[in-house]
Amino acid sequence: MSGWSKARDARGERMSAAASLAKGKIVEAADATALLERLIRPGDRVCLEGDNQKQADFLARALIKVDRQKVHDLHVVQSGLVLPEHLELFESGIARKLDFSYSGPQGAALARALDKGRIELGAIHTYIELFARYYMDLTPNVALIVARQADRDGNLYTGPNTEDTPTIVEATAFKDGIVVAQVNEIVDKLPRVDIQGDQVDFVIQSPTSFYVEPLFTRDPASVTETQILMAMMAIKGIYAEYGVRRLNHGIGFATAAIELLLPTYGESLGLKGRVGTHWALNPHPTLIPAIESGWVEQIHCFGSEVGMDDYMRARPDIYFTGKDGSLRSNRMMCQNAGLYACDMFIGGTLQIDLDGNSSTVTPGRIAGFGGAPNMGADPHGRRHATDAWLKAGREASDGEQTLVRGRKLVVQMVETFGDKMAPAFVDELDSIALARKLDLELAPVMIYGDDVTHIVTEEGIANLLLCRGRAEREQAIRGVAGYTEAGRGRDRKAVEALRQRGVIRRPEDLGVDPLDATRGLLAAHSINDLVDWSGGLYRPPSKFRNW
Amino acid sequence: MSARVPERGSWLEASARARVAGLLDANSFTEFLGPEQREMSPHLSLFDLPRAFDDGVVVGRGKLGGRPVFVAAQDGRFMGGTFGEISGSKIVGLLRAARDGAAGDDAPRTVLLLLDTGGVRLQEANAGELAVSEIIRAIAEARRAGITVIALVGGKAGAFGGGGIITACCSRIVVSRHGRISVSGPEVIETNQGIEEFDSKDRALVWRITGGRTRWLTGGADRYVADEIRAFREAAMALGAEDAAPFDLFRLQAEQSRLEQRLQVDGDSRDATQIWTRRGLDEPERVGDMTEHDFVVLADREAPNHDAR
Repeated sequence: MSGWSKARDARGERMSAAASLAKGKIVEAADATALLERLIRPGDRVCLEGDNQKQADFLARALIKVDRQKVHDLHVVQSGLVLPEHLELFESGIARKLDFSYSGPQGAALARALDKGRIELGAIHTYIELFARYYMDLTPNVALIVARQADRDGNLYTGPNTEDTPTIVEATAFKDGIVVAQVNEIVDKLPRVDIQGDQVDFVIQSPTSFYVEPLFTRDPASVTETQILMAMMAIKGIYAEYGVRRLNHGIGFATAAIELLLPTYGESLGLKGRVGTHWALNPHPTLIPAIESGWVEQIHCFGSEVGMDDYMRARPDIYFTGKDGSLRSNRMMCQNAGLYACDMFIGGTLQIDLDGNSSTVTPGRIAGFGGAPNMGADPHGRRHATDAWLKAGREASDGEQTLVRGRKLVVQMVETFGDKMAPAFVDELDSIALARKLDLELAPVMIYGDDVTHIVTEEGIANLLLCRGRAEREQAIRGVAGYTEAGRGRDRKAVEALRQRGVIRRPEDLGVDPLDATRGLLAAHSINDLVDWSGGLYRPPSKFRNW
Repeated sequence: MSARVPERGSWLEASARARVAGLLDANSFTEFLGPEQREMSPHLSLFDLPRAFDDGVVVGRGKLGGRPVFVAAQDGRFMGGTFGEISGSKIVGLLRAARDGAAGDDAPRTVLLLLDTGGVRLQEANAGELAVSEIIRAIAEARRAGITVIALVGGKAGAFGGGGIITACCSRIVVSRHGRISVSGPEVIETNQGIEEFDSKDRALVWRITGGRTRWLTGGADRYVADEIRAFREAAMALGAEDAAPFDLFRLQAEQSRLEQRLQVDGDSRDATQIWTRRGLDEPERVGDMTEHDFVVLADREAPNHDAR
């Protein structure tokens, strides 16, 4: 083998080896493991589609059954490492190297596997970053993907959860890789084509439908009055102040509270149409009341959300939909929109240090990043102006710069004490200690302090854009850190001076009365209320019902 | 596209005190053994658990539509509204006071039990089991003395364990969609009988089986109301104004035959939808999802007609 087409020749050999297992492109589920043994070679880079939400779970179960003599030492390159099977690949030696973005439920198992040396870790990426590397130095040799339906030519219909699939397939199929798809069913005619058939080599109908996790459903019944207070401060002190129209929300309860306050508290402040009109956001059920009240112009989605299909289908002015009427999501595109075309990211975190660095790593758990670092980063490549962006830039520059540059608003919302009364403000992030223990080159910091513009706690808002120097930032952070050690260690005079300058703003400075922060302000009090708001179009999964 | 904000005054979300305040005539409530008396559980400290000044139960007297009533309300947010030594005794004492016609000429003839409980408090199980038994006996004695005892169930904890049995012993039962009434909790059934028997994570199933709508359609409640304090108040007023039915052998036999008949008709059902189908409902699979308004219309049409309880 020499010349300029070694990869294409190798592909041809693998395809011929597998040909006897397929009728056209269709392979029986019982032959899945045999197929993978013929297609995958030791050391291959494999993307076993594990997205934020949908999972190629059948192919994952097929892959862990391969003969380890034939298939071993794989390099797994996928955004989500969320199924137990994903880790089993490493425990059994089928896979050795890992480059990923998000591990969510497997965070603890992943940390244990790293500690035991089962995994050779490349890096924990952000989504766009990993996708970028699919086109640079981490191009998959084999992609094992998932879709709802296929036709006999291999065209795929992903349904609303398109997510990562086009990005994975593009990189694999156009670089002489092999694409295998598991689908819920094979049909004669697809509702729409999300992936072209000539980019797909094999299709397997899985015995059970693929798994999708409802990740973005927050039950309004669980929103606390502290979160409502923080949401009121954020709306009045940040949304209104900067006139933020284009934004992304994190998935926590504090931002869910904001979503539920827009049609009530936001309306009373006269903000409708002035804030929160364009979103890079998964289909959060808690945004339904704001949508139904006419706040939202459009939303592009990274993925979908279980139960939201019919609602989105009925709201094509709001959501991106295909000719079949159902949602089309796309994580790569939406992450880009969030990075370059949003003026604000606002979300929660678990720990913030005194430089404003934040992390969701806790002792023994590596949850990865997902998209937060992209959303929560000021993109230096941005070259279009909006009022919100310019105002933030002016605040950061102190008016001394002749060359005006904008800033993205990156807001961290956090209660001073979190779950089990763990302080949110710390001297050293747990992720730094973990990086030391596991000998990682980079500590997994979710959002770097120099990107953070505001911190919102129940004690107030710290505007870090207005801080001059590291010492001031530290006091601004301590000044909203409540009764944590970090908060009690504040220099009271310095904090009072920052408050005089408007760097720190308490609820009373914003004209927010904490006694007004009651659940009565929420536009919906329960999942059931959200169903009512949607006119019965939202169909929540069983686990969120209380009726 | 109008800003519809749901009405305030949800029973589900309210505390025990807020329920009592909203249920009774304004400012008519006088509490017995209030939190200022600090009658707290003597057991919880042994487990290093926080105590409550009222042990999670509010008892007292007040007026409902001008008529005197006794009222007891559990707060499901404190220890799951469980029956312990103190919380149980408060309810027993209230029922006995009603039985004895305490409070003289203006003695209440109605007791309202606002149940919101997971059952017996495990940390003080013996005292809690005794309390449940004593409450059941006290209800029977009060009813025998011509007192109407009305159970109101619509809290987050529902009425489970002894709370489910106590509910069934009352003269009348008012329930909302969220109010679950049962004896063994879903997790307990799953643990003992397996997930095939009952999947406690399947919340739609849990509510289909134990929730207010099914309880009402199968005669396990006398009134179905929307999740509003006002609606509970109206139902309690209407039921409290009725003459107390005699609590005698005839009534117990009627209740026994009602239950036997229900078992005969529905005993082999695997899910509530089968029961709804047998009741001849047009769209049984939709019962759980119907809007409150639609269901209340249905509820009125299907109102139970029996002289049991």
